[in-house]
Amino acid sequence: MFYSDDKKQYSVLNRRTFLLYLLKVSFFGIVGWRLYNIQIKNSQKYKTLSKNNQIDIEIIYPVRGKIYDTNNQVLASNIKVFDVYIIPENTNNINKSLNKLNQIIKIDFSDRRKIIDLSKQVRKFEKIKVLENINWSELEKIEANKLNIEGIFISQDYMRTYHFDNIVSHLIGYTNKPNREEVELPFIANMPNLEIGKDGIEKSFNPNLIGKSGQREIEVNSYGRVIREISRQDSQKGNDIQITIDLRIQQYALNLLKEHKAGSAVLMDINNGNILCMASTPSYNPNKIIQKPNKEYWDSILENELSPLTYRCIQGLYAPGSTFKMVVAIAGLVHGIIDTNTKHFCSGKINLGDRLYHCWKNNGHGGMNVSNAIKESCDVFFYEISKKIGIDKIARVAEDFGLGKIYDLPLPNQKKGIIPSRDWKKKKYDESWYPGETLISAIGQGFVLTNPLQLAVMTSIIASNGKNIKPNIIKQNNEIEFNKLEKYQDAIKIIKSSMFKVVNESKGTAYNSRSESAPFAGKTGTSQVRRITVAERESEDFRKKEVEWKKRDHALFVGYMPVENPKYAVSVVIEHGGSGASTAAPIAKEIFQFTKNLEI
Amino acid sequence: MLNKIQNLNYLLIFLVILISFIGAAGLYSAAGGSYSPWASRHLIRLLVFIFLAIVLALINIKYIYQFAYIFFVLSLLLLLSVELIGVFGKGATRWINLFGFSIQPSELIKITIILALARFYHDLKFDEIKRIKNLFFPILILFLPFALVVIQPDLGTALSIAMLGILILFASGIRIWKFVLGFFVLILSIPLSLNSLQPYQKDRIFSFLNPEADALGRGYQLIQSKIALGSGGLTGKGFLEGSQAYLQYLPEKQTDFIFTLIGEEFGFIGTMFIILLFLLLISVCFYISIKSNHIFGRILSIGVGSNLFIYVIMNISMVSGLMPVVGIPLPLVSYGGSAMLAIIISIGLVLNAELNGNLKKLYNA
Repeated sequence: MFYSDDKKQYSVLNRRTFLLYLLKVSFFGIVGWRLYNIQIKNSQKYKTLSKNNQIDIEIIYPVRGKIYDTNNQVLASNIKVFDVYIIPENTNNINKSLNKLNQIIKIDFSDRRKIIDLSKQVRKFEKIKVLENINWSELEKIEANKLNIEGIFISQDYMRTYHFDNIVSHLIGYTNKPNREEVELPFIANMPNLEIGKDGIEKSFNPNLIGKSGQREIEVNSYGRVIREISRQDSQKGNDIQITIDLRIQQYALNLLKEHKAGSAVLMDINNGNILCMASTPSYNPNKIIQKPNKEYWDSILENELSPLTYRCIQGLYAPGSTFKMVVAIAGLVHGIIDTNTKHFCSGKINLGDRLYHCWKNNGHGGMNVSNAIKESCDVFFYEISKKIGIDKIARVAEDFGLGKIYDLPLPNQKKGIIPSRDWKKKKYDESWYPGETLISAIGQGFVLTNPLQLAVMTSIIASNGKNIKPNIIKQNNEIEFNKLEKYQDAIKIIKSSMFKVVNESKGTAYNSRSESAPFAGKTGTSQVRRITVAERESEDFRKKEVEWKKRDHALFVGYMPVENPKYAVSVVIEHGGSGASTAAPIAKEIFQFTKNLEI
Repeated sequence: MLNKIQNLNYLLIFLVILISFIGAAGLYSAAGGSYSPWASRHLIRLLVFIFLAIVLALINIKYIYQFAYIFFVLSLLLLLSVELIGVFGKGATRWINLFGFSIQPSELIKITIILALARFYHDLKFDEIKRIKNLFFPILILFLPFALVVIQPDLGTALSIAMLGILILFASGIRIWKFVLGFFVLILSIPLSLNSLQPYQKDRIFSFLNPEADALGRGYQLIQSKIALGSGGLTGKGFLEGSQAYLQYLPEKQTDFIFTLIGEEFGFIGTMFIILLFLLLISVCFYISIKSNHIFGRILSIGVGSNLFIYVIMNISMVSGLMPVVGIPLPLVSYGGSAMLAIIISIGLVLNAELNGNLKKLYNA
C-alpha cells in the first residue's frame, strides 16, 4: 500500500505530467506574447501616452459679480474665507491629524468618518476639504499649530455674503451648490463645484454674475501629481448688477411691515416703471442659508407656517377687494354704461335671483354716483353697474391695466393670478357663468386674484393717465417711454379725482390717513377670506369684533403721490390685517412721506 | 546528513535566490533608490526562509507524510480563526498574529492542500482512483479553504485555490470526463452562490470583475500599468529611471504591481528574463516529480510547481490587462512575508522530495 510499483499508474502519471507541463508552457507563451504586444509592438503608442499623460488642465473658478442697489449700495458681494484641507500623502496617520485638528476646532465625528473614507478613494496627493469658512481666530489657531498637524493645508476662497441680511432676501435670493440637473446648465460648464444662484436675481442672472473660468496648464507625472505650472489663464470676474431698489425705502417699508405677521409693500417709480421697493414679510436671512451647517435654519424656515420663502409681492395671490373697483368704474365709463351723473340707490343690499348681495355698510349709502361710490367704497353701486357692463368687458379693462399678467421681469416663480371671464370659466370648470358671479367679481371678490406687484402696476397706469407701464427691476441708463392707452383718458381723470377724495375728503375711506407733508390719492380694499354668515351680519358690528387672526380679512391699499403729476405708486397688502383703511392705508402714508423726504 | 546536503538541488536554490534578488532590486527602485522599507526586509526574509527550507529538506520525508493531514487541519483552523476574528470584532481581515508575526493563512493553506492531496493519492490504490466515492475527500479538502477565502472575500486567492485543486487532481490521474462534468457543475453553481452572498460582497466581486467602472481606483492602475510596461519598450528606461521610481502614487507598486515597475525599467528583455526564470523553476519541479519513485513525492512536486505557475500567470495577466485586477503577488519578487514564506517552504518540500525520491518504502524509511 505504501509502495506502489504499478507500471500502469506511473505511465498515466507521466502522461498527465507531460500534458500539464505543455499547458503551462503554452500559458507562459500567451503571457509572453501579450508582453511582446505591449512592450514591443505597441511600445510607441504607450510611450506617447506616457508623455501626453504629463499635461493636465486645472480649472480656476471665477469670482461672482456683485449686486448693487440704485444708489450704489452693495447688497451682495464676496468675502475672503479660509478652507482647511488635508492631503493624505502628507500625513502618516490621517486619523491622528484630524484628532489634533479637532482639539482646535470641533469636527463632527461623522464628518471625520467621511473624510477618512474619502481619503481611501481619491489619489493620495489630492486635497480633501476638512473645514469650510473658518473665521480669523480659528485661522490663527490653526496657523500657530500647523507644524504639529501633519498634512494640513489652508487655502483661500470666496464666500457669497449679503450685507443686509433679510432686507432684500426674496428679491436677491441666495447661492448654493448646484443640484444634479443644474450641473448640466451651460454656464456652469466645467465648474461642478461652483456655487450658483438658487432664487431671485441671483438665479435669473447666473450667466452674467458667474463670469468666466480660467485654467492652469500643469505638468503632471503619469499618475497625476503636479510637477510644475506651464501656463495660466486667470478667471474673469462676473459682471456686477445694479437693481432699481432703493435700499433705504426697502428697509423702511420692511420695518413697517414687521409689525404685522405677514404682508408686502411695493413702490414704483411711475415715470420709468422702476421698482423702488418690493418688501415682503416674513423674510429669511440668506447668510444663514449659505453658512453650513444650515440644517437647523432650513428646518425652521420650512416649518414656519407663514412660509418665509414666499415672495408675497409676486407670489402672494389675494382677492383685490375694493381696489378692483377702479377697473370696473373705468369699464363702465369707457363703454358708456355710466357717466359722472349716473346714480344708484344703496339700501345696504340688493337682490339678484333668490340671493341677497350686501354692501359693507349695513344701513346703505343712500344715493351714490361713481365718484362717491369710489370715495366711500359703496358695493351696491358696483353691483348695479356690473350687471350692465358684464364680466367680459371688465376682464378686458383689467388686463389693460396690468392685472392677470406675468411681467417680463428676471424674477422666478411669479404668480399670474386670475381675471375671470366667461371663456375662462368654461375652460377651467366647463361651466357657464352665473350673473351673481359678475356682482361678486365687481367688488374684487370671488374668482378674482391678483398679486401686490400687479396692483402697483395698475395704480401706476391710472396715475400716469393711462401709460402702458411695465415694471422694471434692473437699472437701465436709457430713458424708457411707454405708449399711452388713449381710450381711457377721460375715464381715468374721473377715477383719479375720486381716488383723491378717498384720502382727502371727509367720509373718504382713507381720510384718517391723509398726509399734509405728502398729499396722496388712493383706494382702500378689504378682501374677505371667508363667507360671512347671516348670523354674523345681523350682529351689529361684526367687523370690529376680535376674530381669530386667520379668519380676519386681508387689508389692502393702493395709491399714488403726489396728487398732481404723480411720481410714485404704491400697493400695500397686510394679510389678515382687518381693513384696508385701518391697517394698510397708514403704512402707505408712511412710505409716501419717507420717500418724499428722501427727495429733499 | 552531510551526504544529503551535498545532494541538495542547488539549481533550485539558486533560482529562488536569483528571483528574490531581482525582487529586491525592484523593491529598491520602488522605494526611490533605498533599501528601506522593502528591499532590506525582503533580503532578510529570503535568508531566514532559505535556511528554513534547507532544514525542511533534510527532515525524513516520512514525518512530512505522517503530518500531512495535521498540517492541513492546523492551517484550516488558522484560516477559520481569521474568519471568526473578522466576524466578532475587528472587521474583515486576511491576517492573523502568530508569535508576533502577521501571517496570512490563505497563503499557507495552499501548501498544506498540496500535502494533504499528495498523501491522499499516495494512500489510494490506482484502481480505486476511478471510483466516485474517492472523489469526495479531495473535493472536501479543496472546498473548505475555498469557501472560507471566498467569504473574506479574497477572490484572487479563492480562484488560485480552485485552479490548484484542478491541476493536482488532473495530475493524479482522475478520469477526464469527471473534469468536464465538474466544469459544468461549477458553471451552474455560480448564479446560486452569488445569490447567497451579502450585497456588499457582491459589490466587491463585481468591482473585481469590472475594474473599468472604477476608473480612479483599480481601473486607473491597470491603464497606468499598461502605459508603464509599454513605455519600457525593448530595453527599458534603465534601473531607477522608471517614472514610478520617483512617483509615490501607485499604491501596490511594491506588491502586486512590482512586475510593471521592472518592466518599465528593464523592458521586454527584463520581463522575458523573469518569465524564463519562473519557467525554469517550474520545469525543475516537474523534473523532480517525474524522477520521484513514490506518488507522495510526485504529487507534492507537481503541486508546488503548479502553485508557482498559478501565481506567476495570474499576476502577469493582471498587470498586463489579460485578467481583472484581483490582488495576487508575484512570487519571490513582490514584497510580503506570508507569500514568500509559503513559496520558499514549498520549495523546501520539493528539495526534500528529491532527496527522498528513490526510497523504496516510504513508510518504513
